[in-house]
Amino acid sequence: MQVALKIWRYSAKTGDKALREYEVDAPEEATLLDVLDIVKDKVDGSLAYRKSCRMMICGSCGMRLDGAAVLACKVRMYDIANSGRVPVISAMGNLPVVKDLVVDMDPFWAKFKAMKPYLQPGYQQPLDGKEYVISQERMNVIHKESLCINCGCCVSECNSMEADPDFLGPQALAKGMRFVGDPRDGAAVERLDAYSSEHGIWDCTRCYFCNERCPKGVDPRDAIAKLGAEAMREGIDEDLGAKHANWFVTSAKTTGWLRETELVPKTQGIVSSIKQMKFAMGLVKHGKVPPPFPPHVAEGVKESRALYDLVKQQDRQGALGIVQGERALSRIEPAEGPEGSQGGWGSRDQADVTPGEAPTRKYSDDQTKEAQTKEAQ
Amino acid sequence: MRRVAYYKGCLASLSAKELDISTQALSPKVGLELHEIETVTCCGAGDIHEAEPDYYLHLNARILAYAEATGSDTLMTVCNVCTLNLRQANHTLQGDEALRERINANLRSVGVPDYNGTVDVRHFLWLVAEGEGYELLKAAAHKGLKGLKVAPFYGCQILRPSKLLGFEDPDRPWSLERIIEACGGEAVDYPAKIKCCGFPIIQAREETALGELIQPIEQAKEAGADAIVTPCPLCHLSLDAWQSKLKAATGKDFQMPILHLSQLIGVAAGFEEAELRFKRHVVSVQPVVEKLSV
Amino acid sequence: MDAKHDVLVIGAGCAGMRAAIEAHDAGADVAIVSKLHPTRSHSGAAEGGINAALGNAGEDNPEIHAFDTVKGSDYLGDQDSIEIFTREAPGDIYQLEHWGAVFSRADDGKLAQRPFGAAGSPRTVYAADITGHVLIQVLYEQLVKRDIQVYEEYFAWHLVEHEDRCQGVICWDLLHGGLKALGGKTVLLATGGVGRLYRATTNAYACTGDGMSMALRAGLPLKDIEFMQFHPTTMYPSGILITEGCRGEGGILRNSEGERFMERYAPTAKDLASRDVVSRSEQTEIDEGRGINGSVLLDLTHLGAERILTRLPGSRELAMVYAGVDPIKTPIPVRPGAHYHMGGVETDTDGLTEMTGLYAAGEVACVSVHGANRLGGNSLMETITFGRRAGRAAADWALSHTTVEVPQAATRDAERELKELLDRTEGERPWRIRDELGQTMLKNFGVFRREDQMEEQIEIIEGLRERYPSVVVEDKGDVFNSDLVQAIELGYLLDVAACMLQAGLARKESRGAHSRPHDFPTRDDENFMKHSITRWRDDRPELSYKDVRFTKYLPEERKY
Repeated sequence: MQVALKIWRYSAKTGDKALREYEVDAPEEATLLDVLDIVKDKVDGSLAYRKSCRMMICGSCGMRLDGAAVLACKVRMYDIANSGRVPVISAMGNLPVVKDLVVDMDPFWAKFKAMKPYLQPGYQQPLDGKEYVISQERMNVIHKESLCINCGCCVSECNSMEADPDFLGPQALAKGMRFVGDPRDGAAVERLDAYSSEHGIWDCTRCYFCNERCPKGVDPRDAIAKLGAEAMREGIDEDLGAKHANWFVTSAKTTGWLRETELVPKTQGIVSSIKQMKFAMGLVKHGKVPPPFPPHVAEGVKESRALYDLVKQQDRQGALGIVQGERALSRIEPAEGPEGSQGGWGSRDQADVTPGEAPTRKYSDDQTKEAQTKEAQ
Repeated sequence: MRRVAYYKGCLASLSAKELDISTQALSPKVGLELHEIETVTCCGAGDIHEAEPDYYLHLNARILAYAEATGSDTLMTVCNVCTLNLRQANHTLQGDEALRERINANLRSVGVPDYNGTVDVRHFLWLVAEGEGYELLKAAAHKGLKGLKVAPFYGCQILRPSKLLGFEDPDRPWSLERIIEACGGEAVDYPAKIKCCGFPIIQAREETALGELIQPIEQAKEAGADAIVTPCPLCHLSLDAWQSKLKAATGKDFQMPILHLSQLIGVAAGFEEAELRFKRHVVSVQPVVEKLSV
Repeated sequence: MDAKHDVLVIGAGCAGMRAAIEAHDAGADVAIVSKLHPTRSHSGAAEGGINAALGNAGEDNPEIHAFDTVKGSDYLGDQDSIEIFTREAPGDIYQLEHWGAVFSRADDGKLAQRPFGAAGSPRTVYAADITGHVLIQVLYEQLVKRDIQVYEEYFAWHLVEHEDRCQGVICWDLLHGGLKALGGKTVLLATGGVGRLYRATTNAYACTGDGMSMALRAGLPLKDIEFMQFHPTTMYPSGILITEGCRGEGGILRNSEGERFMERYAPTAKDLASRDVVSRSEQTEIDEGRGINGSVLLDLTHLGAERILTRLPGSRELAMVYAGVDPIKTPIPVRPGAHYHMGGVETDTDGLTEMTGLYAAGEVACVSVHGANRLGGNSLMETITFGRRAGRAAADWALSHTTVEVPQAATRDAERELKELLDRTEGERPWRIRDELGQTMLKNFGVFRREDQMEEQIEIIEGLRERYPSVVVEDKGDVFNSDLVQAIELGYLLDVAACMLQAGLARKESRGAHSRPHDFPTRDDENFMKHSITRWRDDRPELSYKDVRFTKYLPEERKY
């Protein structure tokens, strides 16, 4: 079959970038990786990309197809080619691009290593030198996290990391959960402490892009939620994010509905709330800040309070409470749009971030001052 | 008329009351008979899922159980986050018999009816984007949007994770565009329409959240949109109430009006302020109103 | 010399990483050189499991494991190495588990063991069907813990021999560009196999016999190089592996008539007979017209969704993506594909090669544990056990010696070769030679071998070797020049192919994976109970033989 592609060619060394179109003949069962091989062999040998296993296990071939990170060896080209669509292939996001589709993975590995990603045994090592005796059920707590092949697809799409490049990110945190949940690891509390600080668990924006993009079903967002649950169970809840989460619990078991007005001071503290007075007043004007009194109490609040007490009694807290309901690789096929509903095809015609530009954006006081100075000039 | 149980969630009850008001006014026109579940509480918003996961399951099982008790097979939500939380709980409970038994035992002991897994959770958006709801919407939107340029903002949790939501392709959604077109508007396209507004961390990590928030607003503005429409009141809160913070941080004053989905359709259906409550928005919707009344 | 270390490990798969960890723990300054990031190594693609006589799933001990391995090797395995292997395996497994490997558990919470081909007792420890992945992860974690330096995306090109010892390697820095001379008091090859010789292979693109060829060119002998294992269940047409574990869990092979044909070929072991037996049976069924599209069917439908989703989820995903079938409902089309190389660089039981200072472990080496045919699950175990032994030996030697030097001449020679290759602007693109090699090797030197086909193949390889010096590399740049690397890898493939054919033609018997049903259908212990030894002389392979090392197992007829 005839396959057409557009590839973002780029050289970090020279800064040259160009969107090139290629059209080649490929077998029907060809994957995106196979097509890239044909382009490299027969059209342009200078095309650079990583590959190895071609069976979705080594994690080398992460790249973006129409702005969404995929494993090139996992994408079958048949449907795309037949639909006449010409996809745009570009390097993964949130990582500096070296050449064409090859990114510099150093920042990725650096964050990975920052998690201390190796077992730190506790005091309960087996005395007979044989294996730790652990039930499969207990090991299943980290089943999904242990599937990670370090491909970078989740990191590529992380919305939080795009705005804050220092965010540890879904891959590193999922690896962290792999250890926190491993019964043989004796350093869970230290880990949770480390991961709960700045740029850690509470920086996750819950966009679920990582879950969506992960080719192995690791569900990094769920791993981050498990870390949050475990951290709070250990009483490591000083972070504003944890306070924010706790307020929802408190609301549910006291009034049933979220006590919105008190959310800001309860999360950020009184002092910070006072600083936000001007902003808050703007909200009050439009009725966005419901008065805390009388409290908006749900009719059935007695039940939600009673349930809370029951839950506490039964003590299923922490990560064990997050049941692995869906198997790692299950899928739901999306509903076909009705005739003619293409929905935003145009927006996917080019990569979200043009290679060569700084891969993240951040708004800080310095940048604000810069922006204001520029405007003044 | 299609009978559905209606769960409005926390924001629609309080700070985003305009969402509830416009939804209730619009529903009969698109063939939906709403039965509001009275006794329910917060779905947990993803926070309780993290802080007290077992409690989260119980709270949502309770909501679903009461929805079942209305006799309907559909529970309608008007918030992305509620939709994901309820669907996730539903899916988890449907797949695990032992878990279901334990939770039902607890529900029974506090006087809540059993959870049987017979209700499907669907966002209002899904009910009017196709089928009977869509046909009635087309008919109802008689006043039309007169070519108003509207940028759809889906946000995150109505699209992802698609294995729990699955209504439309998470990378190529079409429902909002279809509705905008049906209402006589022009759908504006831009890459950030499926990205995150930053709401979940807007208090704990304001800087990061603003770095996310600016993207849809700036891109929609650059693409020439007159307004943004969103199906989630949490996204709405970020996009609308926090827009002023963007001005403080970047010096850019976008003045981009943000509409709830039900308001957008309501405008096209000829609703007045009493049913739209635009005055409750922080960023003025006046420019849109003026454009449409000319 | 750009850098020097006590021990240089070439390759970062299971063997390479285990060796480096051991060398580090022995006190040596060790560095790994790898053309891929370590977790990308092909060891990670292994699926079914790793063998050790733990006795968790039934009566078992190292003697039984040794006997199974000796028999499986069709009596060509060196029995002293096999005894060491099976004796030390259990300790190595427990070590991995203590380091945190995420293995599957039996009902009693101990390590689960599943039945595998030709095993007298279920001894294959596994992690669902992603055992290789789990091992790569735990070894990389231990590497990170020790902060062991990795020269990542450095392509090893020439071994440096100086003053009668191996003292380093010349590399091409793939990521940044440029030749680098790395010195090591000892060098340890752990570069894996050479599956990419064949059009139908389970192997990754990276498996191009780098270490075998480098050793060959440095004057070292390759042992039993004609023995390539064809895995019975690789998917059509991709060649992607479907684990033996599927049959371990109860999967059945059927021909186009729906018959469980293995009952005829191996009445006792049936579908779990030794791999060479199964591959031959499949090939016979296909050749005799009872195949579909050149394949037979692996039927898992009777296992039930639950079992497949828990024990074989990876295989299911692979079948769905690459064969377009859901094994819960439909059988998977499979056929034999080149999978594992039993032969390789000759070493002793401590991984030492003929050259002082040069060691080898894993698939690149031939100790020989696997003889003429390898049992499923034994290869992963070999990488760990012999990776450890070789790493320790390399470290001990390095720590007792002081000097290391890479002469300028070595770098200059490489620079010259590189310039010649890159200066060429006209010529043949490597892919043509590569594809022709792959197709013809499959046809003429596959599961079944014949005199006339092998002779033809020798001619073909000669022809390809004549064309090779004129290949053109289109990418003349420094940064990430994979075009250059792929051209050099093709050279490695051609070298090993020439050796394999010569040894294969000369072995006038059928033993293990070397099967000649038309001309020499039986095993000839009298004349060929010996290892083939191939050296490189005057730009061609030169063959000789060496005795097999026996301890207590006498050769018997091999039936399953």
